[in-house]
Amino acid sequence: MGKVKIKKQSTIIDMTAMSDVTVLLLTFFMLTSTFLQKEPVQVITPPSVSEEKVPDEKLVQVLIAPNGKVYMNLTGAKDSTQLSTETFRTEVLSQAYNSYRETHPSAPKLTAQAAKEFSKLNTFGVPMKELTKWIALPMEKRDEFLKNEGGIPIQISVKDGPRNEFQTWLAAIKSVMQEHGLGKDLIGGRGVAIKAEQSSPYSLVQVVMDNLQTEKLNKFTLMTSLKVEEEE
Amino acid sequence: MAKKDKSRQKKFDTRIDFTPMVDMNMLLITFFMLCTTMLKSQTLDLVLPTNDNVNKEEETKIKESDAITFILDGNVTTDKMGQSKSTDSKIYYYEGKPDMENFTLNDIKFGNDKDAIRGMLQKRNKELLTIVNKLKADWKKGAINDSVYNAKVRDAREKQAADLNAKRPIIVIKPTANACYADVVHMLDEMQINQISTYQIEALNKQDSTLYEHKVGHPLGGGASAPAAPAK
Repeated sequence: MGKVKIKKQSTIIDMTAMSDVTVLLLTFFMLTSTFLQKEPVQVITPPSVSEEKVPDEKLVQVLIAPNGKVYMNLTGAKDSTQLSTETFRTEVLSQAYNSYRETHPSAPKLTAQAAKEFSKLNTFGVPMKELTKWIALPMEKRDEFLKNEGGIPIQISVKDGPRNEFQTWLAAIKSVMQEHGLGKDLIGGRGVAIKAEQSSPYSLVQVVMDNLQTEKLNKFTLMTSLKVEEEE
Repeated sequence: MAKKDKSRQKKFDTRIDFTPMVDMNMLLITFFMLCTTMLKSQTLDLVLPTNDNVNKEEETKIKESDAITFILDGNVTTDKMGQSKSTDSKIYYYEGKPDMENFTLNDIKFGNDKDAIRGMLQKRNKELLTIVNKLKADWKKGAINDSVYNAKVRDAREKQAADLNAKRPIIVIKPTANACYADVVHMLDEMQINQISTYQIEALNKQDSTLYEHKVGHPLGGGASAPAAPAK
């Protein structure tokens, strides 16, 4: 009986295959990913059985923080022949700010540079009188400002009185979208989405809804997270 | 010279160690996995009545006995940061006209039980639900496809909504200012699940407040007798 010979084996593993797989996975993630949007506050939306997805274009998103502050986020059309996000934002800004300056002539003028900066910002929401100051702030301070001193003034002081600032923004959005032939997208019910924390009192949401109603935007959507309802 | 070079080249190993490459790829994958949102959030469509004054003749008449009014309530607490939260959600309801003699206001809860909201609505909406369940059975068997099923359900619901003599519940949801936002969404969900053809969100009127006061023992707090409720 001869001794059993143990074959000498090399401990080096060929990593080429592994590398192939990881590169594939990486490509998959890069192509499918949409990055988490940075928002001044993180909210948990209420669960719902509704399965409709949030539209990813031609959308006005209203974010309601648990402390009642209101922010907005505008997205233009994906189709490059239509209204792009940048133009959408700049035009809304100039219209809203101009109508603010009509009643407040002493407010500083908006520079083209500031408008360009604004078009790159995802979420906005500061009182009009702070707007130019906010845009001029450096990047890292803007979020802080938005969180602490931000919030679009929204209270309805007098019914059928002059527009508050939130309504001014809405009116500007409406007229810009109509100019570009997207009026139907806004009014049709899928153009405005309200995002609010699930444990918030209804009064916070109600104020926003009342403002939307005043501006004749009666159809809108509430952002929810998916809940699977078991069959009875 | 040439001969010498050739012999030296033979010594090189052409295999490259892929381990660092794999390491790097793994890191990148992890990064992408953590930064992406795979789940898009859902939306719930909502239509509110216009603020414009509607002619008395144009208003849709409904049978009082069909109406069920739900009053959603809760307790609002505000923390140091100014973030408010609604807890202890409560739901009251009355059927038909508000009972201004005995001030009856019943308690009810969310859930699948027979005496919870689901069971109650199922009982009241039996006619439509039998039609829908039949369609659902067909759909599960594969006799009809998704779009046909959805269209047929919608037709049945619209037919019921238009038919004034049909036996159908008409739901009025009245959240107080203190109600929890998630509850309002949950309530809207129940409307979808139980195929309620006619429902509406409204502010509490005077009679509701009186009922509420008798039930809870204190008047409505927090300026709930709110804003835009054109319908009487």
